[in-house]
Amino acid sequence: MRYFDAAVIGGGVLGCLAARNLMRWNLSAVLIEAAEDVCTGITRSNTAIVYAGYDNKVGSLKARMTVRGNRHFDALCETLEVPFNRCGSLMVSFGPGADRVLRKKYENGLQSGVSGLRLISGPEALEMEPMLASGVSLALHAPSTGTVNPWQLGIAAFENALHNGCEPRLQTWVLGIRHTNDGYIIQTDKGEICCKVVLNCAGLNADKVQELLFPPSVRLFCDGADFLILDKHAAKPQYIIFQESEEKGKGVTAVPTVDGNLLLGPSQRPLDAKPWATSHDGMDFLREATAQVLPGVDLAQVIRSFASVRPNPHRVVWRDGAYIPDGKSIGSFCIENPAPGFYSLIGIKTPGLTCADELGVHLARETAEYLGAGERKSFDPYRKAIHRKDHEIICQCEQISKAEILEAIARGAATVDGVKRRVGSGMGRCQGARCSLEIERLLEAAKRGIL
Amino acid sequence: MEYCDILIIGAGAAGIAAARAAHGAGCTSVLLVDRKENMGGVLLQCAHHGFGPNLNGPEYTKKLLENFPKSIGWIPNVTVLSVSGDKRAILSGAGFGAKEVSFQQLILATGCREIPIGALPIAGTRPKGVYTAGQMQEMMNLYGFIPEGPVVILGSGDLGLVMAKQLAQTGLAVTLVEQRPECGGMVKNQRCLTELPIQLQCSTTISEVFGEKNLEGIMTVDGRYLPCKTLLIAVGLRPEREVIFGLENPDWLHLCGNCNAVHPMVEAVVNEGKRAGIAAWEKIRGSL
Ligand SMILES: Cc1cc2nc3c(=O)[nH]c(=O)nc-3n(C[C@H](O)[C@H](O)[C@H](O)COP(=O)(O)OP(=O)(O)OC[C@H]3O[C@@H](n4cnc5c(N)ncnc54)[C@H](O)[C@@H]3O)c2cc1C
Ligand SMILES: Cc1cc2nc3c(=O)[nH]c(=O)nc-3n(C[C@H](O)[C@H](O)[C@H](O)COP(=O)(O)OP(=O)(O)OC[C@H]3O[C@@H](n4cnc5c(N)ncnc54)[C@H](O)[C@@H]3O)c2cc1C
Repeated sequence: MRYFDAAVIGGGVLGCLAARNLMRWNLSAVLIEAAEDVCTGITRSNTAIVYAGYDNKVGSLKARMTVRGNRHFDALCETLEVPFNRCGSLMVSFGPGADRVLRKKYENGLQSGVSGLRLISGPEALEMEPMLASGVSLALHAPSTGTVNPWQLGIAAFENALHNGCEPRLQTWVLGIRHTNDGYIIQTDKGEICCKVVLNCAGLNADKVQELLFPPSVRLFCDGADFLILDKHAAKPQYIIFQESEEKGKGVTAVPTVDGNLLLGPSQRPLDAKPWATSHDGMDFLREATAQVLPGVDLAQVIRSFASVRPNPHRVVWRDGAYIPDGKSIGSFCIENPAPGFYSLIGIKTPGLTCADELGVHLARETAEYLGAGERKSFDPYRKAIHRKDHEIICQCEQISKAEILEAIARGAATVDGVKRRVGSGMGRCQGARCSLEIERLLEAAKRGIL
Repeated sequence: MEYCDILIIGAGAAGIAAARAAHGAGCTSVLLVDRKENMGGVLLQCAHHGFGPNLNGPEYTKKLLENFPKSIGWIPNVTVLSVSGDKRAILSGAGFGAKEVSFQQLILATGCREIPIGALPIAGTRPKGVYTAGQMQEMMNLYGFIPEGPVVILGSGDLGLVMAKQLAQTGLAVTLVEQRPECGGMVKNQRCLTELPIQLQCSTTISEVFGEKNLEGIMTVDGRYLPCKTLLIAVGLRPEREVIFGLENPDWLHLCGNCNAVHPMVEAVVNEGKRAGIAAWEKIRGSL
């Protein structure tokens, strides 16, 4: 059995950044991920926004982490060479109810220390963003809002964690956990791993992973979300647009992504039996809402739709022979610590991406303190991106070369999708129809060692 | 920087015809490039007969290339990345990386691309087993791939029919789903519907896709569930004009073949290519 000081369960953006931050300390660590690659869960399907922090309750952990996380995002993305665009956002309203919400958020933001916030009139908003519908009554401009490629951030953090000595265990399912005298034994489908500290970042399974050893305290009740992506050439706003609807929770968000597409979403709907499946209701909602808020967006230019799962954490109580939710979703980040050396992030929704590094720093510091580990002097924070090369183009739409694809494979991409997440091949308007085959052949050749 | 009088992007039927016509009219500096290794474009993946009018795609290509003049410059494995308003193109190739070529006239013969499933209002998952029809045609005819049946094909235009026929001939169960009240393809392509056991369901479309990792089936809008392991999307083609995006119709640009408008017949593509080749050369001669 292998021994590590700390084990991270789950290789989403939270697990990857937790692992990287662990390596800042003098300790040994392993990252255990069930899938064949990191960042295939919620990290792959979210709105990609780095929030400013005005939405969250003043003084809450969420508000503090969001404001701080946002401020540190440039530095984080520079050291990890991940594209980040601080394009700013406009939250817009079209009536008195939503106007009030905007004013409240403005006050919130000021108190939480969000920089540069401004309430502006409808006409001024239209001047800033001519694509907005003319009925805008009020807008909240937050220049610090930005957008990042979420899975590239997670992958970069993962690569950097490995570079600093963290060991990966991919395609490894955590099936059980038990106590030892001074730590834990994690049972997986590939054998057992012994550790002193467990950081449970298992996303949609985080509640179940904690329950492998502890009685239920928090459980996830999920709903579904849909997204649409438009062709790069489609006209798009320069700002991230949030619609604050008169009807709560019924607004659309439009994000000009770092990859140059327009992302519309998320819808909010009940989750049906098929968790990652898109729904007509959700997609229709996005189209209708977008047509109202950004009438100039050409919805004929949609090239892709995808779904996500929103994990809502609820405290559960034992009643009449069953654990039942206490009725209200936990508003703050739910960081459980059921026993010394065991930490769980359960149901980290928006703004989890914004706060991923903050949460990782926090967990790593707790771990180091618990273990009495000092700082690792040799920690190297830098990670190099896969650089663009422009000969032998394989993905025509995004102009991705063979060299880039081979580099992605060398860095751990195991599937066409894994290559896509690393270099962006197949993300364009033909959606991989023309390059998947060639990429599959390169993967096959690499597996057989004939490259 | 390299220079040519006429640069032709794409060596499908249109590009080949354009190059030959420009050269035949007197242009001595024609450069033809294609991202693929061989000339022929989409013809190379067409195993069916029906070109000019009784040849298959590769045979027809051979005919187009009979006595192809050696003095026409030809570079395979080259993708044109962009074209700028000052008449320069950036070429990217295996041997040389990126390089700039300047020209006087540009002929765009880049063909078309298929509409992917993501562009359609179809709900559900995106499992393995969903392809565009042309992608499957290339996989089968150039790489020997055989998909798993049953197969559902969305769209009964010519491409959908050609694929339905080929798949039915390999013994797979095929169902065509067509939104219109009747089949959309040319009469000659519809013949396979009576000759082979191919199901055609008209006046309906796909509403939802099922299957977590691998495709399991689809649901139509009228509530029928069709189990399938392969789904081909054959709902249409769009002209591929990526490299000239942002250029505002300069007078040195000529479009021909499927990048100009999607053509059902190759003869029309060849004729358009010829006209483009001659028109480009006329422009150069006129300016001398
Ligand atoms: C619809 C939506 C939109 C969002 N938009 C934003 C946004 O714009 N901005 C923002 O800041 N935040 C946003 N968020 C929140 C953010 O996306 C999440 O907080 C973040 O991605 C969560 O990452 P994760 O690592 O927990 O999850 P995941 O990426 O799901 O990672 C969990 C990993 O654990 C693995 N795992 C599970 N069980 C096991 C097991 N038993 N053994 C081994 N491995 C296991 C899984 O395979 C998975 O890879 C959004 C969330 C949702 C749902
Ligand atoms: C599946 C199918 C079946 C058909 N069946 C028949 C039939 O039976 N009978 C008939 O008469 N007609 C048929 N046709 C119609 C006709 O044959 C085609 O429309 C014609 O061959 C298209 O020629 P093209 O030169 O316009 O395009 P293509 O053949 O598509 O050629 C375009 C070329 O441009 C290259 N290219 C694109 N972008 C770049 C770039 N940036 N840099 C470098 N190179 C680039 C591509 O690699 C390609 O080789 C069929 C068409 C299709 C698609």
